[in-house]
Amino acid sequence: MAPNKRVMLRADLNRIYDEKYYSEQRIKEEKFFVRPSRQRKMKKAKWFGVGMGIDLPFCIIILVLLTIGTIMMFSASYANAYYYQDDSYYYLKRQLIFIALGVFAMGFMSFFNYNKLHKVAPILLGVSYIALLIVLILPANGGVRRWIPLGLFNIQPSEISKLAIILFFAHWCSKYYNKIQIAKYSVVPGVIIFGSTALMLFMEPHYSGIVIILILTVLMLYIGGMKTKYLAIGFCFVVGAVLILALTGGLSYAMSRLDGWGQALEYTTEDMWQTTWQTRNSLYAIGSGGVWGLGLGQSRQKYLWLPEPQNDFIFAVVVEELGLVGAAIILIIFALLIWRGITLSLRAKDKFGKLLGIGLTSQIGIQVVLNILVITDWLPNTGISLPFFSYGGSSLIMLLAQMGIVLSISRTANIERQ
Amino acid sequence: MSKSNNSSSFFSGKRAAKGPNQRLIQRAFVLIMVILIVGFGAVFSRLSYLTVIKSSELQEDAVDQQLSDTTVSAKRGTIYDANGKVLAESASVWQVVMAPAYFKEDEQRVYAATELAKILNLEYEDLYEKSKQHSYYVIVKRKIESEAREQVLELINKLSKDYDCGKAVQLFDDYKRYYPYNDLASCVIGFTGSDDQGLEGIEYKYDSYLAGTPGRIITAKNALQTDMPYAYEQNVDAEDGNNIYLTIDETIQSICEKYMKQGIIENNVLNRGVCIAMDVNTGAVLAMVTVDGYDLNDPYTLNEADKAKIAALPKDERGAAESAALSAMWRNKAITDTYMPGSVFKMVTASMALEENVVSDKSSFTCTGSITVQDKTMNCHQTSGHGTQSFRDAIVNSCNPAFVNIGQLVGMNKFVEYYKGFGFADKTGIDLPGEADDAFWSSMTDVDLAVASFGQNFSITPIQMITACAAVCNGGYVLQPYVVSKITDSQGNVIKNVEKKVKRQVISNETSNKMNEYLGYNTETAGSTAGYVAGYKVAGKTGTSEKTNVKKAESVFGEDYIASFCGYAPADDPQIAMLVFFDTPSGSAYYGSQVSSPVFINIMTEVLPYLEVKTSYSEEELEYVDITAKNYVGLSVSEAETAAETDGFNVTVKGDGSTVVSQIPPVSSTLSKGGNIVLYTDSESQAETVIVPSLIGLSVSEVNNVASQYGLNVSFVGAASSGVVSTAQDIESGTEVSPGTVISVTFASSNTVND
Repeated sequence: MAPNKRVMLRADLNRIYDEKYYSEQRIKEEKFFVRPSRQRKMKKAKWFGVGMGIDLPFCIIILVLLTIGTIMMFSASYANAYYYQDDSYYYLKRQLIFIALGVFAMGFMSFFNYNKLHKVAPILLGVSYIALLIVLILPANGGVRRWIPLGLFNIQPSEISKLAIILFFAHWCSKYYNKIQIAKYSVVPGVIIFGSTALMLFMEPHYSGIVIILILTVLMLYIGGMKTKYLAIGFCFVVGAVLILALTGGLSYAMSRLDGWGQALEYTTEDMWQTTWQTRNSLYAIGSGGVWGLGLGQSRQKYLWLPEPQNDFIFAVVVEELGLVGAAIILIIFALLIWRGITLSLRAKDKFGKLLGIGLTSQIGIQVVLNILVITDWLPNTGISLPFFSYGGSSLIMLLAQMGIVLSISRTANIERQ
Repeated sequence: MSKSNNSSSFFSGKRAAKGPNQRLIQRAFVLIMVILIVGFGAVFSRLSYLTVIKSSELQEDAVDQQLSDTTVSAKRGTIYDANGKVLAESASVWQVVMAPAYFKEDEQRVYAATELAKILNLEYEDLYEKSKQHSYYVIVKRKIESEAREQVLELINKLSKDYDCGKAVQLFDDYKRYYPYNDLASCVIGFTGSDDQGLEGIEYKYDSYLAGTPGRIITAKNALQTDMPYAYEQNVDAEDGNNIYLTIDETIQSICEKYMKQGIIENNVLNRGVCIAMDVNTGAVLAMVTVDGYDLNDPYTLNEADKAKIAALPKDERGAAESAALSAMWRNKAITDTYMPGSVFKMVTASMALEENVVSDKSSFTCTGSITVQDKTMNCHQTSGHGTQSFRDAIVNSCNPAFVNIGQLVGMNKFVEYYKGFGFADKTGIDLPGEADDAFWSSMTDVDLAVASFGQNFSITPIQMITACAAVCNGGYVLQPYVVSKITDSQGNVIKNVEKKVKRQVISNETSNKMNEYLGYNTETAGSTAGYVAGYKVAGKTGTSEKTNVKKAESVFGEDYIASFCGYAPADDPQIAMLVFFDTPSGSAYYGSQVSSPVFINIMTEVLPYLEVKTSYSEEELEYVDITAKNYVGLSVSEAETAAETDGFNVTVKGDGSTVVSQIPPVSSTLSKGGNIVLYTDSESQAETVIVPSLIGLSVSEVNNVASQYGLNVSFVGAASSGVVSTAQDIESGTEVSPGTVISVTFASSNTVND
């Protein structure tokens, strides 16, 4: 009965939220943790969709990816661990600890009321700047400064920056949703935040970080409602900026990486052969895998031919062992994750939730695409990890915490709908 | 219904296109499409391209770097002589390799280096340095024998037990080449290099047969080149090399080498000597000697004279001089050096003249001591001239002017035709490496022809000469000379059997028979100067050629000579031909008849009985025929006396006993007919001695007389016929010996030299 009325109701609700949601008072009134009442859960629990209030398919997809990722991380890393760490389980053990922490963080965040993040957004942006500054003060490691050592594990400030930018623009665009078409509210903050972050990343230097930050900034502003003509202008601006940097020679480090781009299989000079070693061995691994792969655990390239197979180049070992078929299945699971993540975010009751969910989910898709294009030598080798697969403490915990936020968005949406 | 309406508002966006929600939904789907279709699409197509289209190419490269190929040495085939005696053989040895990357502590390095230094007799410091490298393959020592291997195995055991680094020292199989006869046939057999590859001679020429196929162990390796911790191994067994049987007979080869070495010393030959023995009916080489050769087990050591010469050179020239001396030492002079055949070639000139019917028994040639062709005067070795002589006598006299005439009778075109026919214009194609090309006239002049008729001014290889000689005597058949008769695989199955190969018939049977008659007559009349061997009909021709191709300044005496002899036996049914030549003899004699002929005789005297060639003694010879002493010990005195006398000996009994307790000469000694045999009946009488007299410079009968006066026996070496004098005795005069001892006395002709 009265379906139109329901739509109208939804629209009204949305409008109310959009206009009124962001008020200090409202946030104060909000509970810090949202939880469906026990009665409701008993009555309305469905296998998919609602569950504990969170979006179960999304949660299952995450756990599936995490499981496959961990198995493959172990397979890819044990030879390296055996030779260099004297313990085949070296990386697995650590990764399992990170996963435990990460899953805990995810669960925690799924119950966390993401609306409280409105307040956190500017703070986190500030923290990301501080982290970026700290890393610049610290001594360089191998010519680059990307990590802040924290005893047990290291923190990569660019990871914080990514989250901070998604969070901040979700906050910003939902706050000024009706002024977003004006350049002052979209282009200006975008240029300022991206420009300042990129400058510090450039000094680390961490070019792939700049690329991801740029994509995320543009993505968030686009989703947030920025006029498309600014996108076009921005695109031209970026191209121009890169050209200027290239001409002034500031891209020397990146260029030295770019030098071997697309030439991994051709021997030119000994130096270049060494530079392209990792990319070449990645291609060898992928080619060796063929359609059906050599079988789980059967990779040969991971026996020290492919340096650090547990990190950025893990997917090369995945293709070598599981073949194109295995790679396609994993890509499909990632696609499902992205689809589900974005669509569930669209069901969020407020614009902030929608933007935040889409941003966090899209980030995974962007990293997957960039990572695989790097290991297949279509992009320069610049250090982009593969979500759920690559070994790494802080980034994995952060990733799962972000997924927790998405789950929290789904939980809130489901509660409201019920 | 409600659903459809709901979704229409979500997706169509028509009604509320400008609303922020619709725009967000639209843009979200654009985003999904961009990520999934553009992004994932690009990723998937790139992966498909690499895993499907580029897969095999990339996989090949990957496998290339992952697999390590370890070669397993194949056992090199054995080289046998004609009777199956081993001339070259490979035996198992081992290679000690260090993988110092497995050492973790200095204590391990010190221990391993100390022990290895002790076992392998190496410097401790070097080993310790090696043990510090980060490597998995450092060769410590190659070709160690089984005794050292046992000790190394023990060390490896100890290292793995007490030091936990057993992998740091490893043993690999290897082979080492042994040559049981050391320098025998060294220039023919050749030797192998450090990687078991043939470097000279048969070892080089037949390397592909001998080498076998090395096996392979293919293992997967990680980037550090150590084995991967999982099983990934493929073994291809090594296939052992084939065995090679030579036509060369170790016995004949040894006999030849023994007398060739003696000839080198006696005549102080400066530039080595060559001896080739060939089966004239098949072309099989029975012996091929280059003296002095070298020790095949130690081919890089020069002889003392060369070493001294090189040591005298300035330092920077020594390296080059040493390698030049080594390659000179390894040269197989029998096929790689050319020489002027000299008078030996007259047998070829005579053959072509007979075949062309330009000469006959009735032809006569006049020699005035020299002959002039186109202003060029050529002297005969007998400057007074041979006067008028028959064709046969021209051969016996080895008369140069007569042969110039014979050459002219043959004519230039025919001469060249036969020259080619006998195989002098081409390599013989013998299956040995490094056969030399000969120098051939670009355009022949009358002087060239005249000089060539007696074998001067053109160069050929010794193997060409012996092949032509075989053709002269075997009915005119030019054969393919060869040294390998059979190749078998490691199980003994025959892979290749070399058959006799006739290239062509260059002269008729009749001509050949005629030549056998003439050359046989030459030997018969010229005696020891022309290869006379008692009991056998031998044919042959001497040669002394001037080394006119050597510049006077470089020559030793202003005029250097090659002394050669080429002959065959038996003359009426030739079986074996032999060429003996000495390059630059610097003793008192340099003529082929003085230098080479005695060597030929000595060799033939032993080789012909070995080949079981039938003897045919002349009556005169029968008088001097050696007989063999039987065993008379243990018989009663009278029985022994009768038996010894029946056997043809003069018997002397010494002592008072009733039975014979010993005899001199002992059983199986050979002594001439009517020689003295002394039978002892008690031990006291055995103490008696006689002093050996000088038996040099005497005729055969004089030697016999003197020997019997002293109660000694003689055995004759060389042609014991009339007109010869003794030149040497093996037990020197003044030595105290028991009565009846056999003294071998060498005879040489005192006749004029006919070269």
